[in-house]
Amino acid sequence: MSKVQPEKNPVSSAGVQREDRRSRSREQSRYRFGKLNEYTTAMIEWYGWEHRYWRIAVMLVVLVLFVFSMSVPMSLAVQSVYAATIFAISLFLCRYTGTLFTLVMVVFSVNQSSRYLYWRMTETLVLDNWVDGTFGIILLLAEIYAWMVLLLGYVQTIWPLKRKPEPMPEDTALWPSVDIYITTYDEPLRVVRPTVLAALAIDWPRDKLNIYLLDDGRREEFREFAESVGITHLTRDNNFHAKAGNINAALTKTSGEFVAIFDCDHIPARSFLQMTMGWFLRDPKLGMIQTPHHFLSADPFERNLGTFRRVPNEGELFYGLIQDGNDLWNATFFCGSCAVTRRSILLEIGGVAVETVTEDAHTALKMHRMGYTTAYISIPQAAGLATESLSAHVGQRIRWARGMAQIFRVDNPLFGKGLSLMQRLCYSNAMLHFFYGLPRIIFLTAPLSYLFFQAHIINAEALIIAAYAIPHLAHANLTNSRMQGAHRHSFWAELYESTLAWYILRPTLVALIDPKFGKFNVTAKGGLVEKEFLDWQIGAPYLIMLALNIVGLLTGFVRLFWWNSFEAQTVILNLIWTIYNLVLLGATMAVATEAKQVRANHRVNCNQKAMLKLNDGSRVVCRASDYSEGGLGLIMPDAGMAPLHSEVRVSLFMGVREFVFPARVVFARDTVVGIEFEGLSLQQQMDLVQCTLARADAWLDWTDNRVVDRPMKGLQEILFHSMKGYGHLWHYLMKRVGSTRPQGVEDKKPERDGFYQNISKKITGKNGNPPIFSWGQK
Amino acid sequence: MTVIAVISPKGGVGKTTVAVNLASAMAENGRVVRLVDMDPQNALRLHLGGDPGDVNGLVHQTLQQSSWYYTEYDSAYGVSFIPYGKVSEVERITFEAYLAQTPNWLRDNIAELDHDPAGLTIIDTPPGPSVYVQQVLSIANLVLVVMIPDAGSYATLPAIEGLLDYYCAHRSDFYGSYYVLNQFDAEHPLNRDIKNVMQNTLGERLAPHSIHRDESLSEALAFQQPAANYAPHSQAVDDLAQLAVWLENKVARVAR
Repeated sequence: MSKVQPEKNPVSSAGVQREDRRSRSREQSRYRFGKLNEYTTAMIEWYGWEHRYWRIAVMLVVLVLFVFSMSVPMSLAVQSVYAATIFAISLFLCRYTGTLFTLVMVVFSVNQSSRYLYWRMTETLVLDNWVDGTFGIILLLAEIYAWMVLLLGYVQTIWPLKRKPEPMPEDTALWPSVDIYITTYDEPLRVVRPTVLAALAIDWPRDKLNIYLLDDGRREEFREFAESVGITHLTRDNNFHAKAGNINAALTKTSGEFVAIFDCDHIPARSFLQMTMGWFLRDPKLGMIQTPHHFLSADPFERNLGTFRRVPNEGELFYGLIQDGNDLWNATFFCGSCAVTRRSILLEIGGVAVETVTEDAHTALKMHRMGYTTAYISIPQAAGLATESLSAHVGQRIRWARGMAQIFRVDNPLFGKGLSLMQRLCYSNAMLHFFYGLPRIIFLTAPLSYLFFQAHIINAEALIIAAYAIPHLAHANLTNSRMQGAHRHSFWAELYESTLAWYILRPTLVALIDPKFGKFNVTAKGGLVEKEFLDWQIGAPYLIMLALNIVGLLTGFVRLFWWNSFEAQTVILNLIWTIYNLVLLGATMAVATEAKQVRANHRVNCNQKAMLKLNDGSRVVCRASDYSEGGLGLIMPDAGMAPLHSEVRVSLFMGVREFVFPARVVFARDTVVGIEFEGLSLQQQMDLVQCTLARADAWLDWTDNRVVDRPMKGLQEILFHSMKGYGHLWHYLMKRVGSTRPQGVEDKKPERDGFYQNISKKITGKNGNPPIFSWGQK
Repeated sequence: MTVIAVISPKGGVGKTTVAVNLASAMAENGRVVRLVDMDPQNALRLHLGGDPGDVNGLVHQTLQQSSWYYTEYDSAYGVSFIPYGKVSEVERITFEAYLAQTPNWLRDNIAELDHDPAGLTIIDTPPGPSVYVQQVLSIANLVLVVMIPDAGSYATLPAIEGLLDYYCAHRSDFYGSYYVLNQFDAEHPLNRDIKNVMQNTLGERLAPHSIHRDESLSEALAFQQPAANYAPHSQAVDDLAQLAVWLENKVARVAR
């Protein structure tokens, strides 16, 4: 650790600095040129790999070794030493960069997990009494599921492609024509408006770009707006198949060679098409190219836990790693928005799929079955709003889970023609993943079967169990932390999945049985959260599990000291498991406690050059530190430069191009100045979107200040949130018990965010002056 | 030593202000900078805290057949300057007649001064063609044309190009001529349009950063200071600093 690179972003806390250094040494370090690398390079370059028979021979030997090491029975002592040795090697390899070492770690992890599972299946199942048998088999099935998902996950993400944008030809005459579809149904105009304005600013030859507002709500207000900005308002006379039907109807009315699709609240960057279209010219079989869904606001997890932009959110694993991994196997999924499709191929597969509620994934599947390719570019080129509340979030995940289960039933990727083995595996994992509901609930309640019914679900001594299970878990965590750490911190998957498990359980199972049956939408409460509250409705199933686990914990202590003192180790093992489950359930409570959200508009941090023209004609250089609906936060070079309520002109820049906006100072404290735009013309509104949300580089530094993942750190974080969750739970329980007043009324806390709240109030409350961009609740 | 001429087709475009503040920005970057005022208005010294009552200047030194050495002043802002001098009408006419007969006058006088090899000499000129501009353009290594973003200024572009072609283009020690827009205000569509047109016409030769119209520049003059001292945070000062870096890069590229 002797060589420390100069810090790009100096950070104050020593702890963060240390972690920063760790990550550096992992990423770009001296290890690259170590002795080990020489050996491995020599190994990779071995001439034998070129010869088929050598290859088969080596693989056979490896396979035999693998099966042997997986299945050979060992005593407690031997197993412990063996597992410790393998883990030590894995820990050592983890210090080296490179996919090869990742592969070796994956092999170790798979080996240890398989060994555990083999041992479980062969030695720990007791079927001589029905209690042990039933609970034992249930748990084993859940473990087999987890093992499968672990393996498929490794396969899917073993080698992220990290595809770069392909440059467009110099001659714009060669550029194809593109239709941009912006789909809307019932969202208010203020949500759609910035998306349209940003789409108008996309860098593409004007005569080859047509923008369509696909309005399934058939609203007059939208028609007028579309007309005023010069885009086409498309409607149809029915709403069959929702968004998929909406797009398919539009396909018959437009004629661009390519179709870019945006949800109405996904604001594209001006570089969107130039970043994506190049690959279509290079690969004539490319049917669809996807970019990440980037969220500029905090999702309920991030908001309620206060981890926005610090801890990777739930979707980031998918967009940061899984899609990039899929891309290697030509299995990138279509995600319904922020993507471009080739019209000819889309039409050939019959338009966007309408059979399921996740039309997007199914559409890509159909393309793959026809032998077309899809691609992924992991550069955020559009941004939208995250789900506003936990109930809305749960509702959305239910839809995905249900849709994936439907595809699994009606067009199973494991069968049917046209797919490569790896594509089948990638799709299967995507679908299998959504069946985590039941296994997760099983894990959360499994130790109770012993604590309540004295069922020996794993029929072995506690120490042996530990000797097999700990390596399995430790390898999986270590390897996943290495592969996913940048996009999903350790142990956070447990929290995300635990929170959603109960809700996706039913829809996935029902869809499996009858894909056409049932609607499971939780009512989205949406909107502003005026005061913090615990969402009892969402939290209910977890409260029950929590109560059961607490009872189990108490029972456990009774068993430990009185009833089952003869098998203390087993009791302790189950107690530890229960405590871990209680930690997860507590964190779930923290998520279910909806943090106050007073702003209808989201403030996006930025750091860009700005200029303020003051009343006296002088112009001051300053920096914009954030923007929100119709307002800007500025950092002035000196205090007191811009008096409160004075009229100003603010300039924002794109390269050397300057855009001026009329505004008024609504806040001034020290060097921090808040301004609110006044009376922007349509052109100015477009310019404003271009200078802020639609900047090509708007989302590139999003993860700059993020802490690097370490497994134990992740566990600590979950523990911390869990404690908070129990704090909330206690608080609201007491309030429920102690007060008959409507909840929350007496719970007024001092306003922390007064300034911006003030701005947003003023803006929305202006006399008929519409906000410039409002991303209120969807 | 590099000679930069600051010229403009029309009066009132803020040429002297640009020259002085550019010099001060370059001095801030560690350059040795000397300003020479060849404009009979003799206003340059006022930007740098020069004594308004002082009549001394290069005209007097020339008419007395003395050296510029005796009329070079150090300012408090890192640049030295040689004023034109406060002269009577008779003196001016005599001086201009002398210049017309002595085409090498400026070259010789500048050569006589002490020079830092990496130093810059920035010469301010009166607007439009004149005997001063002739002499300055004949020796300038680099010319900065100050324009304002209006139609009148734009119309003079061919005339300026003609001057540059005649006096500069053929010389081997000429690095090039560049344009900068002063008093720019993006709020006015005309300003933006003119900038676009000029960008199309001049391409790389137009400085990417225009200097914004900024009251603090005029206020700075009232306080006889470069704007960077008077209003360090003003946009115009920032623009001028960018312009200084841009021009220094042009100089450095040629020097290499």
